[in-house]
Amino acid sequence: MKLYRKLPGYMNLWTFLSLFIVILILLPNVSILLNFFTQETSNWQHIQEYILPLLLKNTSIIILFTGILTILIGTSLAWLISAYDFPLKRFFKWGLILPLAIPPYIAAYTYNGILNYTGTIQTILRNKLDFTVNQDYFDIMTLPGAIFIFTVFLYPYVYMITRTFLANQSSSLIENARLLGGNAYTVFFRIVLPISRSAIVGGVSLVLLEVLNDYGVVKYFGIQTFSTAIFQTWFGMGDLNAAIKLSATLMFIVFSILIIEKLLRSRRRYSQTSAKVRPLSTIQLNGWQRWIAFSYCSIIFGLGFLIPFIQLIDWMLLTYRKIIEPAFVTLIGNSVFVAFVGSLIIVTFAVIIANFARMHQSFIAKTSSRITILGYSIPGAVIAVGIITVFIKIDNLLFGVYESVGMQPSLFLSTSLFMLISAYVVRFLAVGFNAIESGFDEIGSKYTEASRILGMGITKTFIKVDFPLIKGAILSGFLLSFIEILKELPLTLILRPFNFDTLSTKAFQYASNEQIQEASLASIIIIIISGIAIYIFHQVLEKGPR
Amino acid sequence: MYIQIKDVSFCYANSKENIIHQFNLDVTKGEIVSILGESGSGKSTVLRLLSGLETPLKGSITVNNEVMTDDYHFVLPEKRGVGMVFQDYALFPHMTVSENIQFGLKGHTKKEKKQRVDEVLELVNMVKYKKRYPHELSGGQQQRIALARAIAPKPSLLLLDEPFSNLDADLQIRIRNELKDIIKKTGITSIFVTHDRRDARAIADRIITMRDGAAYEWESICTTHTVDKKRLEVIK
Repeated sequence: MKLYRKLPGYMNLWTFLSLFIVILILLPNVSILLNFFTQETSNWQHIQEYILPLLLKNTSIIILFTGILTILIGTSLAWLISAYDFPLKRFFKWGLILPLAIPPYIAAYTYNGILNYTGTIQTILRNKLDFTVNQDYFDIMTLPGAIFIFTVFLYPYVYMITRTFLANQSSSLIENARLLGGNAYTVFFRIVLPISRSAIVGGVSLVLLEVLNDYGVVKYFGIQTFSTAIFQTWFGMGDLNAAIKLSATLMFIVFSILIIEKLLRSRRRYSQTSAKVRPLSTIQLNGWQRWIAFSYCSIIFGLGFLIPFIQLIDWMLLTYRKIIEPAFVTLIGNSVFVAFVGSLIIVTFAVIIANFARMHQSFIAKTSSRITILGYSIPGAVIAVGIITVFIKIDNLLFGVYESVGMQPSLFLSTSLFMLISAYVVRFLAVGFNAIESGFDEIGSKYTEASRILGMGITKTFIKVDFPLIKGAILSGFLLSFIEILKELPLTLILRPFNFDTLSTKAFQYASNEQIQEASLASIIIIIISGIAIYIFHQVLEKGPR
Repeated sequence: MYIQIKDVSFCYANSKENIIHQFNLDVTKGEIVSILGESGSGKSTVLRLLSGLETPLKGSITVNNEVMTDDYHFVLPEKRGVGMVFQDYALFPHMTVSENIQFGLKGHTKKEKKQRVDEVLELVNMVKYKKRYPHELSGGQQQRIALARAIAPKPSLLLLDEPFSNLDADLQIRIRNELKDIIKKTGITSIFVTHDRRDARAIADRIITMRDGAAYEWESICTTHTVDKKRLEVIK
């Protein structure tokens, strides 16, 4: 009866389109989960016996240490910046986010280029100081090296979320603790850490999902993880079925992380109930303390941004004459084209689902928006496997059609750019969706309701009222997805059509072919564009909660 | 009866208890009815149900012999021909006063639309402000524009949700008398919701109160609660 009465409110284009999009998004993921239970191949038995234990060991070591280290660095920096004043603090406040602009795979080969036998440091030591070092100390292409890269370039997730939380939410609690006579040490461990727990958990789970998504770092360093194993079984052994089983295993790990996150966060709420937001008043550090704070921030900023960036610029100056030629322009054209088309589809889909979800506060609507965000948690390699299984099925279904039109290739869609772009949409829909959803949150539903009562239908209301009011949010959703696609690596590597290269795949190829210096120009372009995105994001964060 | 609300029950998605329970109300044509109640009593929800922004779980709503909601019908809000003045006015911030008012006028020529805009602006005494944007108006001015926008399409029913809650006390007294005159001039059947007894008394032909999600005649409450009645006389 209840549902029956509500039905007329649902009967519109937005509902149908939303449900259609949700099914499209679910299809590749479901196909992986279903295929997990298909017949085992001999490859899979081999993998299970000899490779899987190693994958699980490597993955857990990387996740555990990267998790602990990013929490330590991210939280301590967030607290220093929120609570104290010291030299260059205002610069560090946003400068410490910049490492996010450097994708870990670029950082990985840059650091290798700095540290290896022919790299900057060893060359200087050898030629200027006549000093030869033990190569073991300078080898970054190891498990600890990968943990170093992930920590230094992903800690900003923890830092950003925790700092925003501390700046906006905590002032009265922390000031009370100070008034009650707590020293800096007790305030940090007894108050700051517990109250920011949910922010820290949120940040670190983003870090871990990025780590699981990574292909570039571990591939370059030669470390066996799920991403590399999926590639290997698929392309090396030609066994898509085993690749699907590996993907499904990785998906279970991802879901466990998401569930643990949910459990850790939802038990207690640490946000203030009062609407008044007063920033935390800062304490001026004096004497040696201020220099310790300054040095700490400088070291992290240097490692995470300055050193690799300067190195890349140096290499770029050496190689740009050789690199800038028509092929490179094509590369930029390709990158911009896929990013543009992908982002356009993403914001269109995101607007449709976000508008549907806010109109109906029902179970279906909430589930739809949850599913929309799902793709962002799922590693690129897994999405790639899911997408390709779906596309091969479609191609098989359309085989007759291809023949009747006289087309030769039997695999048409699954070798096209269309497949790559679909994969981008599945993976980054969340990025566009979050931006647009917050835009809708900001305007609320009153204008929409007023318009409908004045006689405009849902679609007309959207065109005349909602769209002009959330233009800004749509634009920022577009930009953020554009940049995510531009620097994406694993999906692009797997799904790109033959001979199709983007900035990121080309940079990675150069680096893999021991042409690290040639990779610098493409890398710098990616870093600068990501830097712009971070700046936009930072501006939004600075405005604080709405 | 012009408006007939019969045994309506409603429950918000995130709550277990019905906020509206067995609600009944009849309103005759041209009548101004005020629904008086504390915050959270469900009085604004009644307006949302009447306008079609929410769908009742049970019961039926009829306006001018046309069924708006029952087990087999549901008329979408844009098809109901109802006017509503929102608590915070909800004037479209990206449109001028004139564009805001024209928004609801459909099936007219440009000239007719302009004429109607002038008419209603005349009525609320705001002709001078035609070209302004909402943020360039004071709270009282915005309220009048919201009223003008609601009555411009000549709705069959006018709903007002706490129309004075955002105004300061002085303005409130001036505007509520004005409001009554304007509504009476247009002759539109109106239901308005308030938590302020003086507002209700000043404007309404009839007052009903809400308790436990249902409606009661004002008089019945007064006779059972003598203390309340006395206090009311003091206010008067």
